[in-house]
Amino acid sequence: MGRGRELLRYTGTRLALAPLMLWLIATLVFLLLRVAPGDPVDAVLGSRAPEAAKAALRARLGLDQSIGQQYLDFLGGLLHGDLGQALINQEPVSGIIGKALPASLELSITALLVAAVAGLTVGFTAIARSEGRLDLAGRFYGIGTYALPPFWVAMLAQLLFAVTLGWLPVGGRFPPGMIPPAGSGFLIADSLLSGDWAALQGALRHLILPACTLGLLLSGVFTNALRLNLNRSLRSDYVEAARSRGLSETQVIVRHALPNALLPVLTIAGITVASLIGGALLIEVTFSWPGIALRLQESINQRDYPVVQGIVVVVAALVVLVSVAVDLLVALLDPRVRY
Amino acid sequence: MLSIGRLRRSLLPVCAALAVCFSQSACQPQRTSDRLTVASAGRITSLDPAQASTFGALQLLSALGDTLYKRSSTGVLTASLAADLPRISDGGLTVTIPLREDVLFHDGTRFDAQAMAFSLRRFLEIGTLSYVVGDRISAIETPEPFLLRLRLSRPSSSLENLLTATNLTPVSPTAYRDHGDRFLNDRFVGTGPYRLTSFRSVQQRLEPFKRYWGAPPSNAGLDLIYLSNSTALFGAMRSGEVDVLLSDALDEDQRLALNRMADKGMLREGQGPALVIGYITLLSNAPPLQNAVLRRALALSLDRDLISMRVSHGLRPPLLSLVPRGLPGGDAEPWPRHDAAQARNLFIEAGYCNGKVFNLPFTYRSNVPADRLMALTWQAQIQRDLSDCLALTLDGVESTTVYRQLGEGAFQAVMLDWRGSYPDPEAYLAPLLSCRESRGSVCDRGEAAISGSFWTAPGLEDTLLRSDRSRGDARLQDLDIVERMAAEGAAYIPVWLVTPRAWSSTALATPEFDGNGQVILARLQEVD
Repeated sequence: MGRGRELLRYTGTRLALAPLMLWLIATLVFLLLRVAPGDPVDAVLGSRAPEAAKAALRARLGLDQSIGQQYLDFLGGLLHGDLGQALINQEPVSGIIGKALPASLELSITALLVAAVAGLTVGFTAIARSEGRLDLAGRFYGIGTYALPPFWVAMLAQLLFAVTLGWLPVGGRFPPGMIPPAGSGFLIADSLLSGDWAALQGALRHLILPACTLGLLLSGVFTNALRLNLNRSLRSDYVEAARSRGLSETQVIVRHALPNALLPVLTIAGITVASLIGGALLIEVTFSWPGIALRLQESINQRDYPVVQGIVVVVAALVVLVSVAVDLLVALLDPRVRY
Repeated sequence: MLSIGRLRRSLLPVCAALAVCFSQSACQPQRTSDRLTVASAGRITSLDPAQASTFGALQLLSALGDTLYKRSSTGVLTASLAADLPRISDGGLTVTIPLREDVLFHDGTRFDAQAMAFSLRRFLEIGTLSYVVGDRISAIETPEPFLLRLRLSRPSSSLENLLTATNLTPVSPTAYRDHGDRFLNDRFVGTGPYRLTSFRSVQQRLEPFKRYWGAPPSNAGLDLIYLSNSTALFGAMRSGEVDVLLSDALDEDQRLALNRMADKGMLREGQGPALVIGYITLLSNAPPLQNAVLRRALALSLDRDLISMRVSHGLRPPLLSLVPRGLPGGDAEPWPRHDAAQARNLFIEAGYCNGKVFNLPFTYRSNVPADRLMALTWQAQIQRDLSDCLALTLDGVESTTVYRQLGEGAFQAVMLDWRGSYPDPEAYLAPLLSCRESRGSVCDRGEAAISGSFWTAPGLEDTLLRSDRSRGDARLQDLDIVERMAAEGAAYIPVWLVTPRAWSSTALATPEFDGNGQVILARLQEVD
């Protein structure tokens, strides 16, 4: 079978399995929410509302139906692309996700860029003398950033750069005195497209601290991956062969060792993007970043079933898409990869 | 291998570029408008007075709308949209309210009795908190364009304070024509000093309403922002990023730090009437706490002064009543103060001490830091004073779960708090003590069961109902009887009062509160 057809078959299989995976995830979330203690009606009315008021609201929200019927309604809606309405204020779940997802993506992508730049830069310490100061510093950085608790680092960064030094805002996504530019919800892109430089500056200032904190904490993964693979590449036969041909050390590293060492890093980047889409919770909470993880946390606290279900399904779908895209990219870049 | 020197040389330009970047942003941006920035916790998911229940939403609505009456921070009831105090006649079953004739809604339509009746009926029909009004109002009439008449099913002395509730803020019938039977979450058209010009759940913009009937706001407008955690709120105030901070979700140490900054003149601090009570509920319909002697012993074992100091450095004053101070009946202190010797005697009477320790599981809401500190402090205090009689086993449970399982009798002892929907003793006593079906001192159905105590006493319900019918001294006497019965039953142990605070920068005047515990945003102003 030709490589192109092999890739096509692989992609087709992964995409065909995606609905099954999403169904499993949606079912699991649906059941877990119903098993968890707590009642959305209490969240709306308060625990002291009379039973009659609770029963009326339960009926209005459809929570008086059997679990089976609720499940069928949920799946039916999902098949029609309808994620339902929030129990708390009857806002369409798709609208809630539409507002929160761009914030999370903007933060994740920027953090990933920071992580890649910082992580790969430090990862180059692998080329330094083994056990030397630079090598040890790189190793320490890789382990340290990986091991530090995100909420602790985030709060320290907040106290240092926002409260003490006053360089950057404490939290939020946009200056309070300004109206965000209308558009896609990606404030940086919207500001650029509308030519609103004040808005761009405001959005960037709010983005720097959470994105750098998250990015630097993630960069250890990149550092460790690059160090490991670069070390391995530098000891491989083809690098020795390159050296024996009289190439300079820089040429050996840049042309031969680095491309091979970077391929596994690409896979790691893909996994990191996927996990960041819904997983930057601690950073979003600490910096009051109105993203999807913060919204998910609030909705879980309120037992807002449709919002939690909708967010989980959408994030799961994005994770599937990103992981397939990364697999394909790796396969395209590395002819040795077979599926 | 690359040398360190070469690497250092290649990194130098990067470091220089970073330094330039930081130097460019090394100061906070200047204010982009004359509006003030007010920060609080809690995303606002609905601006509909029929739906709003969170502190943030009610605070915002209090600036965008008016109620018929307002209660000052000293407890005086004054007419707002009403032209005068209510006239009560016909044995207390008819309340007539004259309305102001110079009030406009933000959409330019006129406020009148029809508009008020529309808003009240809408709240009673779809309001999530309509049970607060209950069955008290049997009919709403508009005999004249600016005269509202409420027919009551029973006399109710708490009705006047109920009419100060933000949930009863009138809305424009024109703007809400299509939302008579459903909520309008992202818009609000009321009569208040501000109109809403931009709404997002995390940020709202308010601008003065130029045709406001009353005194215009003292500022050029407000930007209200939401920050999701205490550290961010604290940091935003300290760094000067926000002008005013509301205290509803601040951790105790940060509240104290701001309090001390205010003492040093670095900030201004305003205090409102304390309307949130912290209390312990004891499960009184099952062993071992069905024994009233044991419950009384627990009430005596609690050292409120110590707990208040350790948890909040005294910012949460000790409480010996279910009704907050400042409300009618709130000055009495029917619950006993800490008395370890007397508590020991009662534990002995109940069969404990002298080698038999009463192990009490004590639940607190794990997501409320003050409750956790309170539980730890009480546990240590018991260990110090009564270790041979009582031991507390702490159990942190998320608040949503606590509230869900409270009415199922899941917790023997649990720390909770309560804020009445309106500033009246009725809003504190009825939700804890009211009972519809009882057997002796056990309440099977009613608020006392929902509250997790399942406690009542013969004659309590009648006295409670009478206290809402009577007025003046007779009411105070009834309230006193109710509280003394509750203290004797000891199914609840009041712990502390939570005082609302707000901080402003020194460039602004001290924030002022109204009698409902909300900051009067229209009075925030810059000072020389």
